[in-house]
Amino acid sequence: MANPAPIRQQYGKRPWTFYVLAAFFALFVAFLYGPMSAIYVLSFQGPTGGLTFPMRGTSLHWFDALFSQQRTGDFAGAFTRSIILALIVLALTVVMSVLAGMAFRRRFPGSTFVFYLAVASLIMPGILIGLGVGLTFQLFDVPTGWYTSALGAQLTWTLPFGLLIMFAVLSRFNRAYEEAGRDLGASHWQIFWLVVVPILLPGIIGVALFGFTLSYDEFPRTLLTAGAQNTLPMEIWGMTTNVTSPALYALGTVTTLVSFIVIALSLGSIAIIQRRRARKPVEDEPRSDSGQK
Amino acid sequence: MKLSPTLTSYLQVAPMLLVLLLFFGVPLLVVIAFSFFDFDGINTVPAFVWTNYAELFASKVTLSLYLKTIYYALMVWAITLVVGFTVAYFLVFHVRSILWQMALFLLCTVPFWTSNIIRMISWIPFLGRNGIFNQALMGVGITDEPLEFLLFSDFAVIIAYVHLFTLFMIVPIFNSMARIDRSIIEAAVDAGSSRLRIIWDIIVPLSKTGIALGSIFVITLVMGDFFVVKVMSGSHSASVALAMSNQIAMVQYPPAAASAVVLLIIVGLMVAAILRIVDVRKELAG
Amino acid sequence: MEPGKKNATARGSIELAGVTKRFGETVAVRGIDLKIPAGAYCCLLGPSGCGKTTILRMIAGHEQPTEGAVMIDGENVVGEPPVVRGTAMMFQSYALFPHLSCADNIAFNLKVRGVDKAERRERAMQMLARVQMRQFADRLPAQLSGGQQQRIALARALITNPRVLLLDEPLSALDEFLRLQMRGELKRIQNEFGISFIHVTHTQMEAIALADMVVVMDQGHIEQAGTAREVFDRPRTTYVARFMGGQNVLAGIVIERGAGTVTIDSGGKSIVLSAPDPSPAVGASFQIAVRRDRVQLNRANGSAAPLPVNAVSGRVRAIEYQGSWLKITLEEACSEEFVVNQSDSVFFADPLDVGDPVMVQWRPEEVHFLTETK
Repeated sequence: MANPAPIRQQYGKRPWTFYVLAAFFALFVAFLYGPMSAIYVLSFQGPTGGLTFPMRGTSLHWFDALFSQQRTGDFAGAFTRSIILALIVLALTVVMSVLAGMAFRRRFPGSTFVFYLAVASLIMPGILIGLGVGLTFQLFDVPTGWYTSALGAQLTWTLPFGLLIMFAVLSRFNRAYEEAGRDLGASHWQIFWLVVVPILLPGIIGVALFGFTLSYDEFPRTLLTAGAQNTLPMEIWGMTTNVTSPALYALGTVTTLVSFIVIALSLGSIAIIQRRRARKPVEDEPRSDSGQK
Repeated sequence: MKLSPTLTSYLQVAPMLLVLLLFFGVPLLVVIAFSFFDFDGINTVPAFVWTNYAELFASKVTLSLYLKTIYYALMVWAITLVVGFTVAYFLVFHVRSILWQMALFLLCTVPFWTSNIIRMISWIPFLGRNGIFNQALMGVGITDEPLEFLLFSDFAVIIAYVHLFTLFMIVPIFNSMARIDRSIIEAAVDAGSSRLRIIWDIIVPLSKTGIALGSIFVITLVMGDFFVVKVMSGSHSASVALAMSNQIAMVQYPPAAASAVVLLIIVGLMVAAILRIVDVRKELAG
Repeated sequence: MEPGKKNATARGSIELAGVTKRFGETVAVRGIDLKIPAGAYCCLLGPSGCGKTTILRMIAGHEQPTEGAVMIDGENVVGEPPVVRGTAMMFQSYALFPHLSCADNIAFNLKVRGVDKAERRERAMQMLARVQMRQFADRLPAQLSGGQQQRIALARALITNPRVLLLDEPLSALDEFLRLQMRGELKRIQNEFGISFIHVTHTQMEAIALADMVVVMDQGHIEQAGTAREVFDRPRTTYVARFMGGQNVLAGIVIERGAGTVTIDSGGKSIVLSAPDPSPAVGASFQIAVRRDRVQLNRANGSAAPLPVNAVSGRVRAIEYQGSWLKITLEEACSEEFVVNQSDSVFFADPLDVGDPVMVQWRPEEVHFLTETK
């Protein structure tokens, strides 16, 4: 049967389905953000308040409690460690993903194997990797630690993401830029640093963003490989099982804040770069070019 | 010094390859090896025995655990598929300006960047007896008593999974849909096709890859999860991964390893089944 | 390395000797011999896949020939990178670096060579002035129009002081109006800088407007290389005659020989044509070209009298108005379509209709003998 209105009109009235879907979408967003906002609100719970509503006054009491180590665990320590580890993971992920992405531009024997290896690593349940890395280290009698086993385990999660992003970015990359660089006398290194990297910068920032946040939030792999000292998610996990105060929520608010800052910085810089480079060109005038004398 | 292109590629891919082999490939082999080690409850002895597997398959708990976990996986898959598809469809086909599309898309993705654990926990005050949802229901008058089943139940577990993982459905489906050539749809509209038919005949087949990718993500994440199910069910429920994590905590490595291998095989089969239906290689390899 | 280090008084003469390029099983160009004088504007003309871009890239140094030599100013440059051999290329998409300003784009070659910042800026500004884009120095390419981007791309290539500038379909991305305008720019700049330009295009009119030398190519080999006038007015082969437009090709088998004439069978029609000396044998294939605008079109009087020499008869199949002239396509005249370009004043004095029987005649001097394309 004929449909009176097309699915997508550029102008004019929107079909009724738009409003239904928009409402659904709004509900979905509420679903996503709603519960978290409960946490943010509860973190300002008064000193006598409990884990759930109702609120008993408002205060910064629990944020304060967070920073004093005794009762609530070593939050500050875990926080610092998590950030440092995330930064290291970020750096390594960027370098390795960019290099590997460049490698995949040509076909080479074994490229399919590496590709599937990365994809398998991506969908492997974290706990399996954690178990495996832990056991491997035990087998070879090497103690697990932050910058060895935990780092490695987290990389198995961030590297495939980085690789996939590089694939997407490089497939849209016009090779003419590299040829132009070569035509103008640049060496391979110069082309890489002066042409390829600057043009791909938004994508590289994306890889960095993934590298940092995936590490910072990572839990299952790290749990079994971090050794004696906790990351932040591990700290939180510990708290869920034995802490009964809104300090947990205060922690949630703080970590989220950090995440938001990182996201805002990354996405903001990407947006700035894109906007500068893709501004709408001035229309050519039929009569005379504006550059003529 | 001019290197051959192939050699250059090998050098460039080497760091990543090394890391993946060392921290994924080797550990995987180690786990498989451990699953054959002899374990008497306290000591682990390198050997090649099938006892761990035998015990695993003999135990009735194993089957019920798998059934439960697969139940979770399928429920979550179904819900995230419907929700994800609808949201992606809305964003791609009903939002007119690219700017709004991007902005709303980002709006959906931002929660992904915050800690999973925090997001999961945030459901507790929301769904609890004194939680916001119950208070709202009672306030509006739908119920007199707080609903108990909302928290620490299967319902809570599934809600948390959906909350955490829908994004993994939205992104690939969004990508697939955005690549659909609009003129195909316009041609269908010109030919008098109804909206529903267009969705079923054109959009769904062309988003197959995205649906497959999203499904793979969601299913593997649920099958491998151990902390959401523990917290949100209030330890009433269990999953395969949770049982495994308990074994690990009790230093029962060989049985845990055997569990891991079986889980891997089951998940592998599920993924392979999806890949047989849809070939995603083209999409991933760019 | 200094660009264009082989300096010469006459800069940028090019010679290709026996150049062949294979990509795996496919042969892109085969046994090419070509000489381009220094300072010439040369157009490589042909349809997609004829090999013109491959030749361009081999002269540029972005591809290496499988066999043969590429010589610039007498010296074989095969194996040398572009900047050493003194060539610079302007890409079809311009390939201006989106993250650099116009001045930085232009100064790129200088930066790569280690020239210091102040001098780089100075020389880039000079080049900008020469292409009249000085006020765009700090703009990004995305903020420029198509024509402006082309000037920057040219400036960027010219600052390397090349002896040969290679242009890969530079006008294809522009719309019709802009294309005509930019054509003039290119010619002007080539005159000013005095170096050789090699310009790849598939548009015949563009080639003959710009070029001192036109090289018509098809399927990996050169059909004809000559001045624009030669290629248009005196095509050597049937391919060139058909490709350039503006000519009618009459081709067929000789069935009879006469005094200074032959009769050919072309598509079932017997046509008598002026013949060269010695004239071809009976049974041989024979082909001529005659300009579409150098013929006389008259209504046929319907008599069954045999055709005179250098004439065809037929029926009007289509009439297309082109402003100052009309394109009249005939059917049933010979083995392919026959076109008459008639001036509008002549046409409208006695307008024809589709379906009218007509006869077309031309003078013997207008007959131009062709060789068959191999």
